[in-house]
Amino acid sequence: MICNQCGERPASVLVKQKRNGQLTERHLCHVCAAENHNLNLAFEQDPLAIHQLLSNWFPVQSPSVNPVQKEVSVCPSCGFTFNNFLKLGKFGCATCYETFESNLEEIFKRLHNGNKEHSGKIPASYGSTLKIKKEIEELRKQLKVSIEEEEFEEAARLRDQVRELTKELEGSANHGD
Amino acid sequence: MAIDRFLEPKASSWMANEGENTDIAMSTRIRLARNLNEFKFPYAFTEDEALKVDKAISSVLLDKGKDLNQEFTHIDIHEVSSLHRELLVEKHLISPHLAAGVHSGSVLLSKNEELSIMINEEDHLRIQSLQSGFHLQEAYQIANQLDSLLEENLQYAFHEKFGYLTSCPTNTGTGMRASVMLHLPALTMSQQITRIIPAISRLGMVVRGIYGEGSEALGNVYQISNQLTLGKSEYEILQDLQNMTEQIIEQERRARQAILSNSPLKLEDRIYRSLGILTYSRLLTTEEAAKCLSDVRLGIDLELIENIDMSILNELMVFMQPAFLQHYSEKPLSPNERDIARAKLFRERLKEEYKINGDKEGEDSV
Repeated sequence: MICNQCGERPASVLVKQKRNGQLTERHLCHVCAAENHNLNLAFEQDPLAIHQLLSNWFPVQSPSVNPVQKEVSVCPSCGFTFNNFLKLGKFGCATCYETFESNLEEIFKRLHNGNKEHSGKIPASYGSTLKIKKEIEELRKQLKVSIEEEEFEEAARLRDQVRELTKELEGSANHGD
Repeated sequence: MAIDRFLEPKASSWMANEGENTDIAMSTRIRLARNLNEFKFPYAFTEDEALKVDKAISSVLLDKGKDLNQEFTHIDIHEVSSLHRELLVEKHLISPHLAAGVHSGSVLLSKNEELSIMINEEDHLRIQSLQSGFHLQEAYQIANQLDSLLEENLQYAFHEKFGYLTSCPTNTGTGMRASVMLHLPALTMSQQITRIIPAISRLGMVVRGIYGEGSEALGNVYQISNQLTLGKSEYEILQDLQNMTEQIIEQERRARQAILSNSPLKLEDRIYRSLGILTYSRLLTTEEAAKCLSDVRLGIDLELIENIDMSILNELMVFMQPAFLQHYSEKPLSPNERDIARAKLFRERLKEEYKINGDKEGEDSV
């Protein structure tokens, strides 16, 4: 068979595509098949089909027999149900995180090697106390690394920063009393 | 039109070839995913909300970009032809997802093409910072500065426990994906890469061929990136990726030396055959071009080839793709016509290169 696209080289790949419910089949040569999904997958590829993983872990069931919560949880803000989330593998809005919170720990633990809580950057506008606490945690980690690598000047600088932030934290706590 | 500058056959600064380890680490990218608190995420929002999100983010960037010494060009994705969208994808300035144009969306590009801010991709906001070579910290600093500027002016969706809230649970937390593109011909030839890939995935990182999911990488170019976004800080994620990448680079160097000392003639033959194909062929498929580019790149790294500048190869890697070929030819091309155009592109660029740098061997043979 000759390639459907270039009409020159022999076809070696059968490409099945479902678009708008219609299945099309095309016989392509290796060259045209490669051109069809070109180099650009490079940067923005889904590392794994997330919705497939999710539905394996949480078999989608009819809402009435949802084992985790007796009633269907529907996000009040965007209308997504937990099953919507599982099928699509995506959240509909920020409120979804709170609506489905009881089920999320399990999902995050599986997706992020057992981790279930954020420990990185915090927006400046988001509570200064929390920000300082997390910053101190972060600096302590960096401090540990610099001691291990015997970068003592850097370690001293980080230690002073931790002290300063701790003072600031205590200051704001006392102020609050 | 404002977009024109970004479509010129000029290399973006991330395609340059400066800095440490550029022989193996070709480019570095940091991507931050963010959403605005008051709007539904792109999988659930209305077209009206999409427009409001676009306007809110764009106006901050166009207004405050000066604070970072950046001037952004705003490109509305729906006002751009599909070929032009493809060109931006091939240059890595936008993602295929944004190019599909499902919602009203935009991209804001910095003059030097190192920063690209996509609006209404899978998340409201995707900040992308590109650097040539192996520069995780620098790329992160640039993305982080922009992120901090935006958060002063916009309310991000953020949760005390879950961190930055994203559409996909694989991005929740830092919302950061850091990646380095690596050219690993020796690890591929010696098949060591097939052992490295599964080992790395156990450490919360992932290595993929630049092309497809399998182990067969087009042009021996691989991408290593973090898979975890929750539970580790940006600093730790970057540190882990930095260490792992350095180890892979070291392994690649060792494998290159091993091949060079075990079968120097075979290697040299392979490299010069590939240079011959790129310089003289009349029909060049994507795979063959990518394979030969990889060989020639290796030849330059090992100082077997001296009269070709590496940055030319980085440019050709981008400009040999279908949309760019059609843009130059100023007409749509069938796959076969593309192979012709691709061969012509390589012949012309490499001949210019010989003229500039002097083709000693060419002179000898005259």
